[in-house]
Amino acid sequence: MSEKSEVDLTGAKKNTGVWLVKVPKYLAQQWSKASGKGEVGKLKIGKKPGKTDVSFTLNEDLTCLSALGEKTELVQAPQEHSMLMLSVGGQTLAVFTETTADEISLEGMVVQRAECRPAVNESYVKLKKLQMEVSTKPKRLTEQIARPVTNNFKPVSNHVANVEYEKKKRTEGRMVRADRQQVMDMLFSAFEKHQYYNIKHLVEVTKQPVTYLKEILREIGLYNAKGTHKSTWELKPEYRHYHGEEAN
Amino acid sequence: MTSLGGSSSSSTEYTVRVPKNNSKKYSIMAFNSGDKVNCSTWTQARMERDMSNRRMYGGEETEEGAAGSEFGKKQREEARRKKFGIVTREFKVEDQPWILKINGKAGKRFKGQKKGGVTENASYYIFTQCPDGAFEAFPVNGWYNFVPQAKHRTLTAEEAEEEWGRRNKVVNHFSIMLQRRLREQERGPDDEDEEGEKGGKKKKKKKGARGGDLRIHDLEDDLELSSDESDSSREEGDNKPKKKESVAKGKGKKKKKKRGSDSEANEDSDDGDYEGLEVDYMSDESSSEEEAGEEKAKSNKEDGPKGIDEASDTEDESEEEKQNEEEGKEEEEEEEGKKTPVQMEKKKKRDSSGESDTSEDSDIDGEAASALFMKKRTPPKRGGGRGSGGSSRTGSRPGTPSIDSASTSNTLRAAASKLEQGKRQVLGGSSDSPAAKRLKMEPGSTATTTQSPAPSGKSTPQPPSGKSTPSSSDVQLTEEAVRRYLIRKPMTTKDLLKKFQTKRTGLSSEQTVNVLAQILKRLNPERKNVNDKMHFYLTE
Repeated sequence: MSEKSEVDLTGAKKNTGVWLVKVPKYLAQQWSKASGKGEVGKLKIGKKPGKTDVSFTLNEDLTCLSALGEKTELVQAPQEHSMLMLSVGGQTLAVFTETTADEISLEGMVVQRAECRPAVNESYVKLKKLQMEVSTKPKRLTEQIARPVTNNFKPVSNHVANVEYEKKKRTEGRMVRADRQQVMDMLFSAFEKHQYYNIKHLVEVTKQPVTYLKEILREIGLYNAKGTHKSTWELKPEYRHYHGEEAN
Repeated sequence: MTSLGGSSSSSTEYTVRVPKNNSKKYSIMAFNSGDKVNCSTWTQARMERDMSNRRMYGGEETEEGAAGSEFGKKQREEARRKKFGIVTREFKVEDQPWILKINGKAGKRFKGQKKGGVTENASYYIFTQCPDGAFEAFPVNGWYNFVPQAKHRTLTAEEAEEEWGRRNKVVNHFSIMLQRRLREQERGPDDEDEEGEKGGKKKKKKKGARGGDLRIHDLEDDLELSSDESDSSREEGDNKPKKKESVAKGKGKKKKKKRGSDSEANEDSDDGDYEGLEVDYMSDESSSEEEAGEEKAKSNKEDGPKGIDEASDTEDESEEEKQNEEEGKEEEEEEEGKKTPVQMEKKKKRDSSGESDTSEDSDIDGEAASALFMKKRTPPKRGGGRGSGGSSRTGSRPGTPSIDSASTSNTLRAAASKLEQGKRQVLGGSSDSPAAKRLKMEPGSTATTTQSPAPSGKSTPQPPSGKSTPSSSDVQLTEEAVRRYLIRKPMTTKDLLKKFQTKRTGLSSEQTVNVLAQILKRLNPERKNVNDKMHFYLTE
């Protein structure tokens, strides 16, 4: 697929500046749970002479963590975060978006980078502890098997699988020879789908006894004993009209 | 948005919203600041996924319209794969790189590779300020590092390695790509094999011009005719002059012995053969390449009688020169000495005269001699034929060229001059006679040679062609010359070019190419394919 999408450059032309903020995982999780309009918190930008102080406060309703298992009720995500401002120096960062319809548009350029750091308080420390416990749990577990594997089998008069097979055979019965023309039609339609068939597959498709089928096949088809399609049947050249073949 | 007053620092509060149901996926496009990318200057941009990594699974399956086998072929294939443990990584479209084209076909191109690990431990959000003052945060889906793609031609890895090996010798780096381009032009008629050589040849031309490099090579050191290449018999390690079947052109550029890397494979086992030898300069090339070639040797031999005479003549000359100059560094075998002295001479000359490309051999003695030498040098480098072991020439050599009896030299010279005359049938300009005269004169002035030209095959020096060159070079690029070559043996265009080296003919490589093309058109030789290469030949 090589349709190129024309990139919508309106954002670039307007020179819209955006911020790129790195946010901790738990905070991102909380944000994804935001309801309603999606308000998650407040950003406070304080411009002191000399430096800019930015902080983020998480909304209260979002502080309850629920993704960590049993101990969640006790743990709360911290509310206060400070935003560390970084420069965009060594890289020129642009933001582009892709819609589901594969439309690409350039949203703007990154003018400021920031890292969101939680204020370290008790709740945060507890949260971190929990996270560590979860992550240090080994992914693979050793269990003891209750019933170990045996190769000792008790003798059985008839195996389960065998019994089922016989039942199936009995119900289906022998294959009945259908009308010659009908079978041929079935074969033609089958060969339309694929060029080479194994006799077994044809039997499956046509539900005809093998000898009968072979008779008909001898009439309209060829047997490939060698070559890439080992022991397969195909239609005689005069009966087939494949697109690719014609091209050849 | 509320503004809190009353504090010494003014701070403003903004609401942060994380919109849900985003149909748009945000990604970062990162450019290196060194590339100085300014998105606002883009007038038009196209971006698409680079699908070059997708293996076409569908390819093998459909033969003749779903004709290829049936019934669970796919399942069977999968089962086979699982059995053998072949795990094919899934081709995920979202992970494929982007190709970004700015301002249409002529503009810049960038390739954006997805950066891994971005969303593993932390999430990135894009904060945009809305008109109402609140911030909206969108999660970043992927980070792509965009690098500009070079449109200019670059060297392949092998070529780059070659060039790296020559970095100390190559002064003119611009010629490298030029050669490559010329090589590609020739690629039409010729084969890839010749590529390296030809390029090398031309390159050498320039390098030789530097004059400062002392190289003990024969002009024809690496002139290999395509049909004659013999891979394994090449000898290495010595600065043995190689006899070439080809006739040397008057330019007498010292060419670096090219390893003929592209075309010939050297046996590693030969590497150590010449380790202990004293050689003049341990350059990559000079010490390593010798075009071996029994065939070459043989053909050289055919030319032998003539060539040898000439060559020995040259030797004589060279000896003289040597006496005049210091040759402290030469180390070559007696046998090859012949060549070497010549080479040395040339080298020295080069040093002294600081030749430029168009051989300014127009100087008198020295130059003339060197020109002569060059010419004669055709010397088949003989690598294989002559014993390998390079013996080293000791420093005594310079001072004491072994002296043949004057009589032999005289006869040799006479023979040489006769040959010269014979060859110069053509329009031979001035360069012919002067050269001949020079030839005659030289012998008179000095003692002669040492090393008798090893009969091993000097090929006949090329008779000067009709074009007169500014310098006293003996070789001219004329129809006559080309005809002679083509009658003698089938040659590829590359080989022909080798014969008419720019240093000897005084033409630039482009001119040579043009003139040669014209001549070939006039001659309209017959073609045949040997070793997959197109050879020309004439039958008279």
